[in-house]
This record gives sequence, C-alpha cells and structure tokens, in this order.
Amino acid sequence: MSPELKLGLLIGLVALAAIVGVVWKLRTGTAKRVDDGEYVDLAEISAVKNGKPVNALSTKVTFLQFSTDFCTFCGPTAKMLEALERTDPSVTHLEVNVTDRLDLVKKYNILQTPTTLVLDQKGKIMSRIGGAPKAHTLITEIGNFDI
Amino acid sequence: MATQIDPRGPRFGATITNVLSAIIFYLALDKDTEATGAVLFGIAAVLFLIGTVFGTSKHPFGWLFRTFVKPRLSAPKELEDSRPPQFAQAVGLFVSVIGLVLFVSGVPYGLAFAAGALFIASALQAYIGFCLGCQMYLGLKRLGVFKG
Repeated sequence: MSPELKLGLLIGLVALAAIVGVVWKLRTGTAKRVDDGEYVDLAEISAVKNGKPVNALSTKVTFLQFSTDFCTFCGPTAKMLEALERTDPSVTHLEVNVTDRLDLVKKYNILQTPTTLVLDQKGKIMSRIGGAPKAHTLITEIGNFDI
Repeated sequence: MATQIDPRGPRFGATITNVLSAIIFYLALDKDTEATGAVLFGIAAVLFLIGTVFGTSKHPFGWLFRTFVKPRLSAPKELEDSRPPQFAQAVGLFVSVIGLVLFVSGVPYGLAFAAGALFIASALQAYIGFCLGCQMYLGLKRLGVFKG
C-alpha cells in the first residue's frame, strides 16, 4: 500500500471518529416522542426513593431514569433531575438500577444508560431521552404538559 | 470495588491509547509492518488486562496521570465512579484480542479494523468524555456476550 493511501485512510479514520462524535453530541440527551400508549408498572420496576418503595407518580410529570453500575453519565443525570425536582414540585425523579434487571431492559427496550422515560400522571410513556438529558430538553418536556 | 476517581485520569489514558491505536492502524495497513503493529497491539492488550483486573488507577497510564499530570491541574470539579472506566478497559481488551486473533488467522486488514475501532472508541473517550464501552454495557449484556 502506498504511503499516500495509508495516510488517506488514517485521515479517513480521524474524520469518521469526528463524525461519530458530532452525531453523538447532537443526538444525546434529546427527547423522542412515544405514541404506542405503553404504561410503566411501578410495582414491577420496584422503584425506591430515599429507601422507601414508590407507589405514586407525580401529579404532573415523572422522570423515570434507568441506570447501571457501569454508566458514566448516570450520576450527573440523577443530580440534575433531583435538582429539578427540588425547584419544581410538579416534577418527580425516580431512578431504577437495571444492572441485574434484564427483564426491564428488554421490556422497555433500553439500549443505553442513562435512559429516561417521561411519564404522565398515570404512568403513560410520553417520551424517552437517551443519554444525559440536555437542559432545554427537560424544559420542553415539562412544558408539553402545560398545553 | 467502587471507588471515586478523577474523571480526567481515564481521559488522559484514552489519549495515549488513541495515539497508540493510530500508530497500530497505520502499521497494520502494510504487510511489511503489520507484525510490528501486532506486537504493539499485544502491548495494548496487556495494558487493558491490567486495567480490567486492577482498575484504571493501578494502570500504568493512571500512574503517569497521578505522578506527572494531576499535580499540574486544579482540583477536580467532580469525581466519578471507578467501575465504568474499568468496564471499558474490558471492552478494550476484548477488541484487542479480536484484532490479534484476526491477525494470527491471517484475515486481511483484520488488525487494522480492530485498531480502527479502538481509535474511534478512545477518541470519543479522550476528547469528548463519551465512554463507548460503558454505553455498550446493556447492549452487550442483551446479546448475551457476558453474564453478571
């Protein structure tokens, strides 16, 4: 192989990495609308908050965050959603660790963590957010419930 | 064991891995230099094995970071869990073993392909803090690649 071609392939590889990075940066943390009318079963996911089982959703919007032990952005995402919950009483944040819950991973089709499901007061899935949510994504999602 | 580490440590290590994988990729494109690339890839695999078993803090790049880089930086704004980068080391090990197996089996450009994959993953980790290996955890688990 000629040095020019090898160098060309190396540059191509760098370009490919850059494209993957840019696409990921743009897409991560944005919301995707869900229309299949699926509901989340609180008992099944065994959500725990402050050491107590959760059996009620927020009266407006609940952010249900799926996390694993091997997740870089799960901690920061939880912090962000908890801060939101403190400032806005209509928001509830729930976190479920699915490291050993492959049943939930399959049921809710979770391909990456964090994945955050946006739920209405009855537990209907309105949107899903893959990756660390962007601040404006959360504001838009909460705003959707005001219309 | 889960401990809290400076997230810049794994990113520093990924920068070195990134440069190393670019060199291996280049060497692997030519029959004359492919074996040299395979030796470097073998070294990378051993480094990943150390990172997988002992964690990124005990990794030689982790030591370099603590000894030469960290003293020159300000205190970290936040710490991160040590388990995701350790898991990513296992994914790196997996990719390097695949590359070496392809090389030994004589698959054309197999080594270059694996080195290219490693280059992209380490670039994302090093320059934008995106841990591809961690992201793949659930996907790999769903495919039944590993249990646990």
